[in-house]
Amino acid sequence: MKHKLFGLVGLLVLLMLVASCATAAPAAPAPTAEKEPAATSQPAEVQPTEEPASAAKENVFIYGHPTTFPDLDPAISFSNDSAVISNCYETLTFYNPPNSAEILSPVLATSWEANDDATEWTFHLREGVKFQDGTPFNAQAVKYSIEKTMELGMGAAYIWDPVETIEVVDDNTVKFTLSYAAPLDLIASSGYGAWIYSPTAYEAHDTEWLNEGHCVGTGPYSIESRARGSRLVMTRNDDYWGGWHEGQFDKIVFEISEDPVVLQQMIEGGTVDFTYNIPPDNLASLSTRDDLVVYSNPSFQNLLGLLNTQKAPLDNKLVRQALSYSFPYAQFIEGVMNGRAIQAHGPVPAGMWGHSDDLFQYHYDLDKAKELLTEAGYPDGGFDLLYTFATGDMDEQQVGEVWKADLAKLGIDLEVRGMTWESQWNLAKSGPENAQDIFAFYWWPDYVSPYSFLYNMFHSEDEIMFNLGYYRNPEYDNLIDEANALSGTDRAKASEMFIQAQKTLVDDAAAIFFYDVANTHIARADIQGYADNPAYPHVVFVHQLTRK
Amino acid sequence: MTIAVRPDEIGEPSPARLKEYHLMLRAFRRDPLAVVSLVMIIVFILGAIFAPVLTPYPEQGRGEPNILEKFQPPSRVHLLGTDYLGRDVLARILFGARSSLSIGFLVVFIAVAIGIPLGAIAGYYGGLIDDIIMRTTDMFLAFPPLLLAIAIAAALGANFTNAMIAIAFTWWPWYARLVRAQTLSLRKLYFIEAARSIGVSDFTIIIRHILPNVLTPVLVQATMDIGGAILTGAAISFIGLGVQPPAPDWGKMISTGRIYFIERPWFAGSAGAAIFLVTLAFNLLGDAIRDVVDPRTRRAA
Repeated sequence: MKHKLFGLVGLLVLLMLVASCATAAPAAPAPTAEKEPAATSQPAEVQPTEEPASAAKENVFIYGHPTTFPDLDPAISFSNDSAVISNCYETLTFYNPPNSAEILSPVLATSWEANDDATEWTFHLREGVKFQDGTPFNAQAVKYSIEKTMELGMGAAYIWDPVETIEVVDDNTVKFTLSYAAPLDLIASSGYGAWIYSPTAYEAHDTEWLNEGHCVGTGPYSIESRARGSRLVMTRNDDYWGGWHEGQFDKIVFEISEDPVVLQQMIEGGTVDFTYNIPPDNLASLSTRDDLVVYSNPSFQNLLGLLNTQKAPLDNKLVRQALSYSFPYAQFIEGVMNGRAIQAHGPVPAGMWGHSDDLFQYHYDLDKAKELLTEAGYPDGGFDLLYTFATGDMDEQQVGEVWKADLAKLGIDLEVRGMTWESQWNLAKSGPENAQDIFAFYWWPDYVSPYSFLYNMFHSEDEIMFNLGYYRNPEYDNLIDEANALSGTDRAKASEMFIQAQKTLVDDAAAIFFYDVANTHIARADIQGYADNPAYPHVVFVHQLTRK
Repeated sequence: MTIAVRPDEIGEPSPARLKEYHLMLRAFRRDPLAVVSLVMIIVFILGAIFAPVLTPYPEQGRGEPNILEKFQPPSRVHLLGTDYLGRDVLARILFGARSSLSIGFLVVFIAVAIGIPLGAIAGYYGGLIDDIIMRTTDMFLAFPPLLLAIAIAAALGANFTNAMIAIAFTWWPWYARLVRAQTLSLRKLYFIEAARSIGVSDFTIIIRHILPNVLTPVLVQATMDIGGAILTGAAISFIGLGVQPPAPDWGKMISTGRIYFIERPWFAGSAGAAIFLVTLAFNLLGDAIRDVVDPRTRRAA
C-alpha cells in the first residue's frame, strides 16, 4: 500500500503547490513573453522599412488576456474572442462610449438613412477600402458577409433576424429591406455577428483555417501567429485605410493566462501592458503605483438574481418584494466590491439609452421585508431557497454568502450552491418546479439596446432560453415589442416605453437587481489613448494607442 | 502477533494479554513523535467540538459576514487575521475542523465497514466468491478518487455528504484487500481448522476467530488513512465540489484564499497549515501504532 501513501503525499504537495503557485508560476510565462516578439521582430529589422528610425525597436503592445479565444471566425464568434476580432475586422457603424455627442459614429459606412417606419435602411460605404487579402471592400462584400452570417445562423446571427433582403444599389451603396421595424444602425454596430469579411477569402477557406490564425477583415491588424491557449500575435496592416502615424503599435501580443494571480504578477512586473480580471481586493495596491493606471468604468453588464416566479413561495409578488428589500446593496457594493459596481436601477444598466435613474430602487430594509412577508403569510419566514452561482465567480459567491446571513434574520434558509454555469443553466431550464429559486445571472447586450435585456430575460418564452425565472406578462411583452419596433425611427419614444416596461418589472420584483458591474482594466502608465467602451467589453482598439 | 492466542482467550483478557497491552502503552509513551501527534490530534478534535466556546466569533465561524473588517492581518483581536468577508480566520479554521475531521473519520469508518466483511468473506471462502469480490475491488481501485467525486457531484449535486460518499467509495477496496490477505494466511492455521472440525459455524469463525486477528493491521492502516481522507476531502472542496460556502471548510479556504495569497497569505496559509498538521499527525500516529503493536519493532526500540 506504499504507493497509495505516495499518492496521498503527492496530493498534499499538489495542494500546497497550488496554494503557493502564485509565486512559482509566473517564472514560466515571463521570459517566453519577451522572447517571442523579439524573435519575430528580426525579419522586420533585416528588411528596410519606411521608418528606419523606429524600426530599430518594434513597438509591441502586450495584452495579458484572462481567457482563451474559442472562435476566430467572424461570422460565428460570440464569446471572448472580441479582443482579437475587433482589431482585425470592422463593422459598418460604431457604438460610441457613453457621454459622446452621438450614439453612433461611422466606420465602414460613412452615412446611412432609414425610411419613416424603419423598414428600409440604406448605407453609403467608405470608398477605397481593401480587405487584408487584397479583395476590394464594396456593397457586394457587405451583402455577402451579412447574408453568410445569417445563413450560418450561429453565434449572434439572430441580430439580423429582421433583415429580409439585402440589395446592392451600386458599388458603394447597400439597401436593407426589413420584415419588421428594427434599429439596423444599432444592429450594425454590434460587437458580435456584425463584422464584414472578405468574400473571396471566406469562400476559399473554412472556420478551421481562420482558427489556425488567419484574418480577412479590413481592420488595422492581421494575425501573424497563434499558439492555441497560450499566445496570439497580430501585426499591423500597412495598407489600413485609417492610416498610420508615428508612435502607434506595430504588433499586438495576447498572452493568455487564466490565473488572475499570474496576470497580476505579469502587469506588475511589466511583462504585459494591459490586463483585466485581477482579484478586485488586490486592486487597491495596484492603483497606488506610479507605473500603472487602473481604469474603472461602468459597463453594460449587470448582475441579477432571477427569481423563479412560478414556484412557491416566490410566485408571490410580496415575497419577491420582501427579498428585494433584504439584500444589503450599499454595504455590499462599498464593502465587498470596493466600489466596482453601482446599485442597479432596474434591468437596463446605467449609461445605456433606455436606462432611467428615476426608476424605483429597492434598498436594504429588513423591517419592510418582514412586513411584506407577514402580509404574504410568512411572518416568520420558515421556508428554504436555493441560490445557485457559477463556481469560481467570487462576486456571485459573496452575494450568496452575505445574503444568507440577512435572510436568516427573516427566518429564510438560503442554500448557496456553486455549480458550473452549464449545469446551473440546465437546472434552470428543467421546469419551474425543479429549477433553483434564485439564479445569479449576468447579462450584457449583443448590440446596444434595452430590448436585449428586457426581451431575453423577461419576455415570455415557450421554450426557455434565458427567461430563467419563468416570468410571464403579456402586457409587458407587447410593450417591449412595440418599443423595439419604434427604436429604429423614434428612439426617444422607444426609450420612454422601455422605461415604462422596466417599471412593471421593478414593481413585480421579477428579479433582484443587484448591481451594474464596473469594468476594471489595468494598463501600464506609458500607454496613451485608451478609453473603455462598454459596448465592446474588454476590447482594446490598439490602433488608437501609442506609447509615451 | 496474537496468532498463538487460544480462541477461548478472546473476550476476557488474560494476564498475558494485559501484559501485552502494558508493553504497548509503555512503548508508545517512549516514542516522542507518537505522543506529539496524538496530542495534536486531540487538540484538533477538542477544537472542533468546542469551537463555539473557544472563539469569540462563533457566528463568523459558521459563515456570517463581517464586511467592515475584511482582510485584517493577524492581530490580537483576530489571531490569524480575517478573510475576504471579514470573518475571523481562526474561527473558520476551528469550525472547518468539524467538516474536515468528520470527513476523515467517516470516510475511513465507511471504508472499514465495507472492506472488512468483504475481505474476510473473500479470504475465508476463496474460489468464485473471492474472484468476484476481488475483481470488484480492482474495478473500484481503477477509479481515481477525484474523478469519481466529480462524477458523483455532477450526478447528485455538490455537497458534504456526496463528497464523503465519493471518497469512501474509492477507499474501501484497500481494506478488503488487506483483510483478505490476512484471512488467507489465517484460515490455514490449526486453530481455525480445529474450530471448523468441531462444527463451529463459518459466521462464528469469521467473527470470533478471524476478525480479532486482522484488526491490528486495519487499525494501523485506518489511522494513516484518516489523514489521507481529510486531504482528499480538502482537494474536493478545493475544486468546488465539496462543502459549499458559506460553510467553513479548509479546502474551500485554500481555493478562495489563493487568489489573495500574495498580499494576504494568512488566510489560505492558515488553512493549508491546518491540513498539513492534521494529516502529518495522523500519518505519524499510524506509524507509531504499527511500531508499537509489532512485538519485534517494539522490543528492539
